[in-house]
Amino acid sequence: MRARILAKTDVLKLVDLLRRDYEVIAPFPGRGRDSAFDVVTDENRHNIAIHLPNPYYPPKRYVLPHLEQLMRIKKTDGGYQLTPSYDETPRAIFGIRSCDVAGIVHQDRFYLGRDYRDDHYEHRRRNLFLVNVVCSDPERDIDENCFCVCTDTGPAAREGFDLQLMDLGDVFLVAAGTDRGEALFEAPFFVKGTAEHIARRRAILSEVRKRFKTMTSWFAATVRYVSQGKILDKTWQEIGSRCLECGGCTYVCPACTCFTVSDRRIGPDEFERVRLWDACALSGFTRMAGGHNPRHAVHDRRNRRFFRKLAHYFIQRELSMACVGCGRCVAVCHGDIGMPSVVEMIRRATVEIEATDVEPT
Amino acid sequence: MSSRPDQLYLPKLAVLDRVVDEIAEVRTFYWHFEDPAEQAAFKRFKPGQFAQVSLFGIGEFPASLPPSPTEDETFFTIRTVGSCTSALHALKPGDQFGVRGPYGNGFPMDAYAGRDLVFVAGGIGLIPLRSCIIYAMAHREQYGRIQIFYGAKSPTELMYLSDLKQWEKAAGIECHLTVDRADPSWQGHTGVVGSLFKQDGVNLDPAKTTAFVCGPPIMFRFVIQDLKGMGFEDHNIVSTLERYMKCGVGKCGHCCIGVAYVCVDGPVFTFEQIRKLGEEI
Repeated sequence: MRARILAKTDVLKLVDLLRRDYEVIAPFPGRGRDSAFDVVTDENRHNIAIHLPNPYYPPKRYVLPHLEQLMRIKKTDGGYQLTPSYDETPRAIFGIRSCDVAGIVHQDRFYLGRDYRDDHYEHRRRNLFLVNVVCSDPERDIDENCFCVCTDTGPAAREGFDLQLMDLGDVFLVAAGTDRGEALFEAPFFVKGTAEHIARRRAILSEVRKRFKTMTSWFAATVRYVSQGKILDKTWQEIGSRCLECGGCTYVCPACTCFTVSDRRIGPDEFERVRLWDACALSGFTRMAGGHNPRHAVHDRRNRRFFRKLAHYFIQRELSMACVGCGRCVAVCHGDIGMPSVVEMIRRATVEIEATDVEPT
Repeated sequence: MSSRPDQLYLPKLAVLDRVVDEIAEVRTFYWHFEDPAEQAAFKRFKPGQFAQVSLFGIGEFPASLPPSPTEDETFFTIRTVGSCTSALHALKPGDQFGVRGPYGNGFPMDAYAGRDLVFVAGGIGLIPLRSCIIYAMAHREQYGRIQIFYGAKSPTELMYLSDLKQWEKAAGIECHLTVDRADPSWQGHTGVVGSLFKQDGVNLDPAKTTAFVCGPPIMFRFVIQDLKGMGFEDHNIVSTLERYMKCGVGKCGHCCIGVAYVCVDGPVFTFEQIRKLGEEI
């Protein structure tokens, strides 16, 4: 990967360069811990923050919006006229964190790979430019809920970005992940780096990694237990009994993919068909017309979320786990069953899992 | 399967030709695509596949394809259960609606070549199996003995009456019917569909037979028990599953059972696969 040096005072020059060709999205600090992605304008560009707590509402919405029009349906004389809708706005996200880059890479594999290619996703994605910022400030970038070192998705993304910024203290080291990222190095404010810069990058990364809680080995064990169907019903029930069925974990998850579809009237003779994020926690998720619901109990639905995220089968299918270690589910869950808690509950149940392996003869 | 770059969720316009009443709340809707090229492309569907049916302004739902690709007409047989199916039932001949598909794996009909086929259906479970039965009869020489065991709650609940009459008379196919509750007009067998297996003259050779089972969950459970009791192996029992679906193409996530997306990995599964999904069906 080719890299250049960017002076700290030139960061907004990079943002402005991107704004020539793209609608630029960046994170802005709010009150307290709050932060949010928003469109960069002449008025707010000075408020863009490089180091801040990652916004709870993930940037996933720039590839898979919370609500997206799929088509317009116009009633004509004796029939209908259908027009598919695509968002082709050239868009750049400046300051996307590594976990969220991994989330988009996961979405790419899910929506663009496998049996069918999703054309609505594809139109947004191919016009999206990602400027990743490495989480290098332990105080402001990383909080107690972060666990990307366990999911191997951070603190520095390895793929999926066009440019990657890393704060070396006095300057930024900017690495290019794609040709169109590298093309920006033509700009006069990028200067050549030295071996010392690369050494400093390595030193900072190794220091940052120590700031995360360690649960790596249990993550791997949990994947194995879930894949082998070894989690006891009792444990799933214990996890399920803490789920309030709010769907919050899904709505903040960069890796969740599920949606529902709905038709709505938008004019006297016109409808739109939209897709909206949906959540497997909600009881209507599997309910069929007529009322039959194969996944009736709440623990069946919780089981589903963690099975989908942790089973080997799906990890192989998408080549990545549907969890990127961002810790958002930990922050939003009222019942304390974010991903790390579930891993911990399964760890504690291991003694009982193992007890079922051995029988006296 | 390779990627398809087309407009994934865009239905093609279809026109309703005529409607035939089957049983209470169930009707068969004959239709064709406005674009003859679409019609020709769609006709390459396989028995066991399904389509997404759009009622504009209401929504979309998955529906089995009861016709066989060897037949001329395309149609759905639909029970009114929710808003979309009710809207379909309200359409009149000449009205437009949307169809996209075919989707799903379908029955691997070539894989059954040389084997005996047994179709066990309960109630409207005959809808997805009809395609397979007609297909097998159209390629009669490819298969061994063909037997149908079909049960409904009462004589007025029997689906596809004209097909049943034909199958009862047709050479090369044995058709056994039963009803749970007879009425004065009923001369035939009474009892659950599994009771037909104990009738005189009925014998199945589990080693060389593939059994297709489709019907309500309780019937499914008992028929599986009966078949396993006769010595059927799990990989020789085939069914087609249904789930709430929004997309039909493996994206929306609603139809997942364990590791499978019913829409792309199914809807046809062997009982062996069903057992290994990792979730109750």
